[in-house]
Amino acid sequence: MIELYHVWKQYQKPHWALSDVTLSVRKGEFCFVTGPSGSGKTTLLKTIFREVLPTEGQIIIGGKNILRIPDSKIYTVRRPMGIVFQDFRLLFHKRVFDNVSIALRVLGTPPRDMKRKTFIALRMVNLHPKIWDYPSQLSYGEQQRVAIARAIVNNPRILLADEPTGNLDPDLAHEIFGLFREINKQGTTVIICTHDKELIRRFGGRVLHLQEGKLHGKDVG
Amino acid sequence: MILQKAKYFIKESLHNLWQFKTRHVFSLTIISLSFVVLGVFLTMSNNLRFRARELSKDLTVIFYLQKTVPAGEHDLIVDQIRRSPLVGTVRSISPEEASAKFAADFPDLKAILLNLNANPFPASIEASLKDPGLPTETILQFIAEVKKNAGVEDVQFNREWADKIRSLGRLAEAVGLFLGGILVLASFFIISNVIKLNVLARKNEIEILRLVGATNTFIRIPFLFEGVLMGVAGSALSLLVVLILIKLFPLYLGSSLGALQEIVGFRYLTLAQALGLVLGGGSVGLLGGLTSLARFLRI
Repeated sequence: MIELYHVWKQYQKPHWALSDVTLSVRKGEFCFVTGPSGSGKTTLLKTIFREVLPTEGQIIIGGKNILRIPDSKIYTVRRPMGIVFQDFRLLFHKRVFDNVSIALRVLGTPPRDMKRKTFIALRMVNLHPKIWDYPSQLSYGEQQRVAIARAIVNNPRILLADEPTGNLDPDLAHEIFGLFREINKQGTTVIICTHDKELIRRFGGRVLHLQEGKLHGKDVG
Repeated sequence: MILQKAKYFIKESLHNLWQFKTRHVFSLTIISLSFVVLGVFLTMSNNLRFRARELSKDLTVIFYLQKTVPAGEHDLIVDQIRRSPLVGTVRSISPEEASAKFAADFPDLKAILLNLNANPFPASIEASLKDPGLPTETILQFIAEVKKNAGVEDVQFNREWADKIRSLGRLAEAVGLFLGGILVLASFFIISNVIKLNVLARKNEIEILRLVGATNTFIRIPFLFEGVLMGVAGSALSLLVVLILIKLFPLYLGSSLGALQEIVGFRYLTLAQALGLVLGGGSVGLLGGLTSLARFLRI
């Protein structure tokens, strides 16, 4: 499903954000990426959804080399993905409904389906009572849940999440991970970057450890 | 699905126009003024051309006679004119009739006439030609024949007036197109820059749209709609301003226009011209948007 071959990424010399990363994530796999701050977790995710281009290496997703896809067709890479960003990337001048439904709108989903799916996604993250609020009216944790709802609203084949529970209380974080597990059970490949070792231990799955851009893999649970 | 998308794009464009309303109102005013200049000159040209056409329809030659012309010679001249196969009707106008007509047409200037000791108007003979399509050469030949009479002092041929008015109309159109062209070009740059500012202001939104899988077209269309809406609204507003100007201008000039009011009876732009202006506004907006997106939204 997702294959990275000898991926290197350098933002500034002499430091390498990713250093010869080769990995393969199978379809339907539940995967954690851990490592200290600055170890390259976010860069790894960004190369997968092609927000950053690797300095060297190849990335194959669903049999397609995504680095060969022209910029104008980049949406073909991203449409099957749901992405939860560390900084949420919400539209603060739009309501929660618009923030979540935008992922469906770009696909041309009919309005009725769009409303239904958006409501379901928001109910999954327990935010449906705030569907008509603006993100600025929400707490940090609630904004994070809006970002999660946007990522899952179109039933993505791949779900990438960068510290998705960083600002949530333990109970809600547990609930969100449970949600990711549920989505994974439906066949979605899930890759989560997190520091939370307790949640990794509790939910289990493949753990990829990054240290100074180098990958060390081990299986847990 | 197309309707749904179109609805979304229009909603987004209107929302964005409203979000930065000060910027857009300012641009709209300038775009509108540019089209007002174009509209005013087109209206002037229209009116002059219409007047020229009206004059050409009723082809008249007026022979002004010397004050000292004896009654017998006057009758001979009238007879000569009447015998010409080109002439339809002939009318003699006495100095008194001419004076009375002037006083009626220009009431404000009536006092001047009263202050003069003598009637300044000469007697004249007005000859209406049968066929408005007669070649100018033939008419000039006829005029030259009549002018051989010593009693004829001056001749006024309204086709010359028509030609002059027509040239004036062409000049107004050319000036309008030149000035309007420059101002419309300015509108193009304004729209282009406003779209650039909008793109920069919504950089974050564009990035998010790309990350959730929006196509480039999906991202670009609302900006293009904004350009088109500004162009169309600006030019439509200019039509309203030109209409108001046309209605108000004669009121402003008031009775001082006198008989000229009839001559300059203001006519509005033709439907084709009005549609052309709105279409032109839309095209300028579209081009402004496209240029801006090509330069500042490289996605």
